[in-house]
Amino acid sequence: MKDILSKINDAAVHKFGAEYAELRVQNLSKTMLTLKEGRVEAARQGIESGVALRVLVNGAWGFASVGSFNAETLMSAVSDACKMAKAVSARLKTPIRLAETKTVEDRVQVKPKKNPSEIAMEDKIKTASSINKAILGYDRRVKSCTIDYLDLTGTNLFANSEGTCIEQDKLYVWSRITATAVKNDVFTFSREEIGSTAGYEVFDAETPEIIGKRVAKRAIEQLEAKTPKGGRFPVVLGPNVVGVFVHEAFGHLAEADLALAGGVLASNLGKKIASNVVTFYDDGTINGAFGSFKYDDEGVPAQKTLLIKDGVVTGLMHNRETAQKFNVAPTGNARAEDFRVEPIIRMCNTFMAPRDCSFEELLEGIRFGYYFKSFRGGQANVDGTFQVGIQEAYEIINGEIGEPVRDASISGNTLETLFKVDAVGKDFELGPGRCGKGQTAFICDGGPHIRVREVTVGGSA
Amino acid sequence: MAVLEKDEMLRLAENAVSAALKKGAAEAEAYVYEGQATSVGIERGQITKSSRIIDRGLGVRVSVNRAIGFAYTNIIESQNAIEDTIIKALSAARASKPDQDWKGLPEKKPYASAEKTFDYKIFELRSEDLGGVASVMLDAAANADKRVFPIEGGAGTAYLSNAIANSNGIAGFDKGTIIECSLAAVAKEGNTVTPVCFEFNAERSYDVDAEWVGKEAARLAVSALKTKRIETKTTKLILTQFALQELLYFTLINAVKADSVQRNQSPFKGKIGAKVASEAVTIYDDGLFPGGLRTGTVDGEGVPRQKTLLVEKGVLRNFLYDNYAAKKEGRESTGNASRAGYLSTPNIEATNFHIMPGTKKAEQLMSEVDDGLIIYYLQGAHSSNPVSGEFSVVATPAWKIRKGEIVHCSRGVMLAGNIFEVLKNVSAIASNDRKMGQLIAPWMLVENVKVIGK
Repeated sequence: MKDILSKINDAAVHKFGAEYAELRVQNLSKTMLTLKEGRVEAARQGIESGVALRVLVNGAWGFASVGSFNAETLMSAVSDACKMAKAVSARLKTPIRLAETKTVEDRVQVKPKKNPSEIAMEDKIKTASSINKAILGYDRRVKSCTIDYLDLTGTNLFANSEGTCIEQDKLYVWSRITATAVKNDVFTFSREEIGSTAGYEVFDAETPEIIGKRVAKRAIEQLEAKTPKGGRFPVVLGPNVVGVFVHEAFGHLAEADLALAGGVLASNLGKKIASNVVTFYDDGTINGAFGSFKYDDEGVPAQKTLLIKDGVVTGLMHNRETAQKFNVAPTGNARAEDFRVEPIIRMCNTFMAPRDCSFEELLEGIRFGYYFKSFRGGQANVDGTFQVGIQEAYEIINGEIGEPVRDASISGNTLETLFKVDAVGKDFELGPGRCGKGQTAFICDGGPHIRVREVTVGGSA
Repeated sequence: MAVLEKDEMLRLAENAVSAALKKGAAEAEAYVYEGQATSVGIERGQITKSSRIIDRGLGVRVSVNRAIGFAYTNIIESQNAIEDTIIKALSAARASKPDQDWKGLPEKKPYASAEKTFDYKIFELRSEDLGGVASVMLDAAANADKRVFPIEGGAGTAYLSNAIANSNGIAGFDKGTIIECSLAAVAKEGNTVTPVCFEFNAERSYDVDAEWVGKEAARLAVSALKTKRIETKTTKLILTQFALQELLYFTLINAVKADSVQRNQSPFKGKIGAKVASEAVTIYDDGLFPGGLRTGTVDGEGVPRQKTLLVEKGVLRNFLYDNYAAKKEGRESTGNASRAGYLSTPNIEATNFHIMPGTKKAEQLMSEVDDGLIIYYLQGAHSSNPVSGEFSVVATPAWKIRKGEIVHCSRGVMLAGNIFEVLKNVSAIASNDRKMGQLIAPWMLVENVKVIGK
């Protein structure tokens, strides 16, 4: 296969006029399950294999994707991609160029304790059934439970016209667990995700009983919860909410493509945009974390990137194209969901660094506010407006945790809010998630508990 | 453009079904999919890329002792890969647990015809032509106002086809085309950068209006430059299609799916015949809507698509069914099984969720609002409580209406409420219905929504 790839890269550059060419060969197997109230909806297995070809011709990109390894098919696809790029380049005012990177030849192997591809479907069904049992058995008011499970294993081969050639094993284990509870007219909803690049051993730590109880308990507690008051309040955010805030409200703004697309960060590099206690990282090198990998989909090594240090913006996340524009080194953030799509700038594991406050110290002095412990979803706009929906919340009254609150959400402007972070905890948690930006990427986010002086809380009608 | 022909795809599906039966499946179903997409992309105000994606595959679903297994592959030129897929589907079924509610695959029924879903002109379009479409859009935006900066967008076409066969003799085939163009833009003045404003147009035949998309994205961006704070209060809203799409997808559309109802995840359980919305609201799910973005003749398991009345003048009339959910209640499927190409088993999904238009023109609806907001883009709707319908979202931005006219925009405005209450508070519906994903809807005027100003 490597010979074919190098022939096609050569042809792109020497025959079809490309200044750069790259090929990504994917050979992946997936296993998927969906259980609804314990019923196995369908046990599913699949093969997704194909090749993505990307070329740069006169400063414009051409991309093609085919589900075939046939040399002739690939040759004709690369020729088409070059033609298409050339056609587009005719209207180009600012041609695209790429930052230099070292050429790499490497073979990256994963060594899981428990390889999901070697675990029988029956055992995977058994694990999911145990989670289901733990949830539905927790309380009679839990009415439904959906468990999705996915594992993905295989190998990606990356080769470009500069001589980089990387063969990299892929391994992901993921599960989403949701439950609903009903009492009279109150419907509550609770969800949790598990994700790892280590192996199936993720279920040894997060056992079905532990996960199941966490999901069910939250759905039940919300039944008795009150709805929040709308308005502006001091809040304490748990690591799970801090994570989604770092990812959604800040992280997307620090993706260099969005920063260039009118985002608020491009003009703020080197400037103070947050209080002194705020330090953020994106780190693709954390062992076993859901957002980790050795090389990105442009063949650039993953790294730990400092985004904000003590309130000052120190860096953005780049691919080779944006790195060239900002005249910096690429940061290993170019990721493609699969061979059907081109790599774009994505986060890896994004988090806030802990400081020194205890949880009690964070609550101290809040006469009335909210403790937001776990999120349901979040979103942000490049102008810096963010929204995070909350699935587990409590009132804070006179520095103490009070009654549970359901269906709250917070919103604000990222930069204004970052200045209002006035205390940061000493604890730390990282949690898995999936991020949508046209494509899905597996990521982690997290941090310590923090206190924000004031944020807009969307109450219910 | 070289594509798989109808006979070829049907034969592939039928052969897979008979091979699965031979290998011991009690029932079998095979779904063959082809998608070919061509696009050009805009980044930072210029067209920088072009792409062509060919995706084909086969998905096989089997039952063995009422346990279901499914496998797929995207390598369909190879007989070995297909054999292997069938074996994997069978092994998955054998590993799985029997489902007592499984009453078999659907039976054969005649298909209705779908109009305006395929256009040879789109099929033949090249990326150079798409470059032309994208340029018209970019120029329209740039010429509208020099404070406007197009950020991203593009133009694209797709040809999609699928064939389905099962062991009850179903043999269905469907093909269609789609063309779309979209533009996201901001406006800048001094230090002010507006939120991203977005427009698009998607059609099944070659009549997208690229110029309108460019102008409209620019108009919205410029109108977002003038901002003022608004107070926290209960007010009237005009929900445009963008806002409706966000709010309804995770709530109302879920609530009318039969599996949500059967699994106690819908507040509409037991409410057939009850009033669930204001009298102004009538909704169909119309899988045969001429030129609809989700229109087709055959659903994801080979059942004919149809038009189903869901809400009639505010009264709940029906739910959406696939074969499994329907047979559980001894009913017929409404043809709402949907698949993510060859990659997934069927799930219940709306086709064209059509909120019927009213008689008032959009301008008239607006002119009658003395004090209110008009909402386009929303953020955070996916964090709504999908079961109860509680939402708490941000308008990015909201535009203030006073005496029938937009006077300024306001950022960071939160809207909070319950979508099922909102439906009861719809006081008028405009006549301007348009297609947006699975929604076909006009503007809606809603009373008494709580907005939280910043």
